[in-house]
Amino acid sequence: MALVHIDALHKHFGSNHVLKGIDLDIEEGQVIALIGRSGSGKSTLLRTINGLESFDDGCIEVDGERIHPHETDLRALRQKVGMVFQQFNLFPHLTAGQNVMLATRVVKKMPEQEAIDLAKAMLLKVGLQDKFDSYPDQLSGGQQQRVAIARALAMQPRVLLCDEITSALDPELVNEVLAVVKNLAAEGITLIMVTHEMRFAREVGDKLVFMYQGRIHEAGDPQELFANPQTPELASFIGSIN
Amino acid sequence: MAYAFDFSSVLEYREALVDGTLKTLGLTAIGAVFGLAIGILGAVSRAWKLAPFDRIFAVYVELIRNTPFLVQLFFIFFGLPSLGVQINEWQAAILAMVINLGAYSTEIIRAGIEATPKGQIEAAQSLAMTRAQLFRHVVLPPALLKVWPSLCSQVVIVMLGSSVCSQIAAEELTFAANFIQSRNFRAFETYFVVTGMYFLLALAVRQVMIQAGQRLIARRAK
Amino acid sequence: MNDISTWDIARNLLDGALWTIGLSLTAFILGGLAGLVVLFARIAKSPLPRRLAQGYIEIFQGTPLLMQLFIIFFGGSLIGLEISPWIAAALGLTLFTSAYLGEIWRGCVEAVSKGQWEASASLAMTHVEQMRHVILPQALRIAIAPTVGFSVQVVKGTAVTSIIGFVELTKTGSMLANATYQPFLVFGLVALGYFALCYPLSAYSRILERKIHGSRAH
Ligand SMILES: Nc1ncnc2c1ncn2[C@@H]1O[C@H](COP(=O)(O)OP(=O)(O)O)[C@@H](O)[C@H]1O
Ligand SMILES: [Mg+2]
Repeated sequence: MALVHIDALHKHFGSNHVLKGIDLDIEEGQVIALIGRSGSGKSTLLRTINGLESFDDGCIEVDGERIHPHETDLRALRQKVGMVFQQFNLFPHLTAGQNVMLATRVVKKMPEQEAIDLAKAMLLKVGLQDKFDSYPDQLSGGQQQRVAIARALAMQPRVLLCDEITSALDPELVNEVLAVVKNLAAEGITLIMVTHEMRFAREVGDKLVFMYQGRIHEAGDPQELFANPQTPELASFIGSIN
Repeated sequence: MAYAFDFSSVLEYREALVDGTLKTLGLTAIGAVFGLAIGILGAVSRAWKLAPFDRIFAVYVELIRNTPFLVQLFFIFFGLPSLGVQINEWQAAILAMVINLGAYSTEIIRAGIEATPKGQIEAAQSLAMTRAQLFRHVVLPPALLKVWPSLCSQVVIVMLGSSVCSQIAAEELTFAANFIQSRNFRAFETYFVVTGMYFLLALAVRQVMIQAGQRLIARRAK
Repeated sequence: MNDISTWDIARNLLDGALWTIGLSLTAFILGGLAGLVVLFARIAKSPLPRRLAQGYIEIFQGTPLLMQLFIIFFGGSLIGLEISPWIAAALGLTLFTSAYLGEIWRGCVEAVSKGQWEASASLAMTHVEQMRHVILPQALRIAIAPTVGFSVQVVKGTAVTSIIGFVELTKTGSMLANATYQPFLVFGLVALGYFALCYPLSAYSRILERKIHGSRAH
């Protein structure tokens, strides 16, 4: 049984049919690189998986937690799915440590000391153990994004969603974030990552998923697809990126 | 004891109501036109630091914004004659409205002017525009357009505030209400109806101003 | 009545100013509490309280304060309550304040970026938890400057209560102007009194505003 199972997923924004029947299975420990042109529906797909967007038809199941269209109680799902955003979205009024601890304290009701220890461990994992007491605006963009990763990891999600998490960064800060993700992948975390970093997709991804106009147009082994795209759309997309 | 509401006794005085409405609107219109004119002058002086006017306008704005309209009105109507300036209730009401709105619009328009992107000014300067041309064609129209909603709100606030002009016997809408309730002894019904009229007036004035703004400013700012 | 000295005038005006301050504080505190209710209704998830709060705000922002006071004053006596000018003034200004503060604070809540809602939602927080730990702390910070700024409107609003017979600074001034035949001096002093109360609040609000713009979020 796949960890994430998506079946005939449809989503409209008004009359705009954005997801046109997505079927996708993701196994535990897999790293999925999701690529495609702007507007092809990558973000929308990701956001339906943790319930930030509702959907119209089909079904999503994460680790046995099944959600149907227009589900409103998404707490259980969200505890299994972590998300990292393009714009970091750190809580500006809290320190890095407090950012990481907040949900474990409030949602999981973890005792304070345990939450502190966990937050420290998570910050260590992203290489920011000495920034526990720093506020977001005292950190660089790359550091903020690493805190955001630590914050998502602290909830011990079964799967982590990353939506273009290096797109808002200055070029010289991209690698420190990718290095963190690479480590997570090596540790065996299940990851779905929307990215424009093709080298990263090829090297780290277990599976490449190419979206085109609301459909999964091509999917398979990254090395093979990059070498031999089966459709002209993917070929032209790869061409336009490089 | 059940009270029997009687709104017909208010409507019997519809002439007084219509008359008061027109005068409130007239007061507002005059206040708006001259108040905005002062606002533009004040905003330019402040934004471009035209000594000594920038200082004068700064003091004026602070004095007006930090004292109640009613007190400004009393000061003008009761205070000025004791200095030998003869002034009737309408002159006092109009003066107070203009002065009050002038101060608020100075601040509002100034904010709009100061938000002009530097690049637009530099572009205009590179076209060898004079300062006055620059202001008239490049700075003012988009600034006014940007703050127009705030100016509309301020005009509505001043119109509602003009209700206290009844206190110096300017026969505007509230004065009409006071008069009617002294005749029909139906204070609650009278004030209720007149409050509703103010509510509708506020909606109408805002709509008209927003439409007018789009016509007049938006076209030039394009 | 020319035996009233300037000193007497000043002393009487000070008495009046104390009532102005008392009424302002009462309206601001009670109006702030009621404003919280308006705020939470205005940003509630279900549409009914949202719409009620919106109507409430529109009525108070769309009609003259003087009319609101008249309606309370005369409406009270209709239902058999003998409402004193003090009660009518305090009640009227409290309602007025609650509507404005509710609307100001709603703006502050909405100024918190959508990303903050999404990030906290993705951490499985409930709506109440999001509000309590993420949104309100940030909104509070934004709200301080405009709230202090609005307190100036409350102080100025108290002047209107003189018309329903509440004896505060303006009313005291009117009575003294009649008694002394020195309206220029008296209303000048009255204006000065309001200025002394309002200007520090305006200036403080501006300082807070600047601080928030040029500063950190914590
Ligand atoms: N909140 C929204 N409301 C309306 N349309 C949206 C919204 N979010 C995305 N869309 C539309 O859905 C389509 C897919 O967008 P998105 O999933 O963001 O694409 P991608 O992430 O691949 O760039 C686009 O046409 C976009 O305009
Ligand atoms: Mg996207």
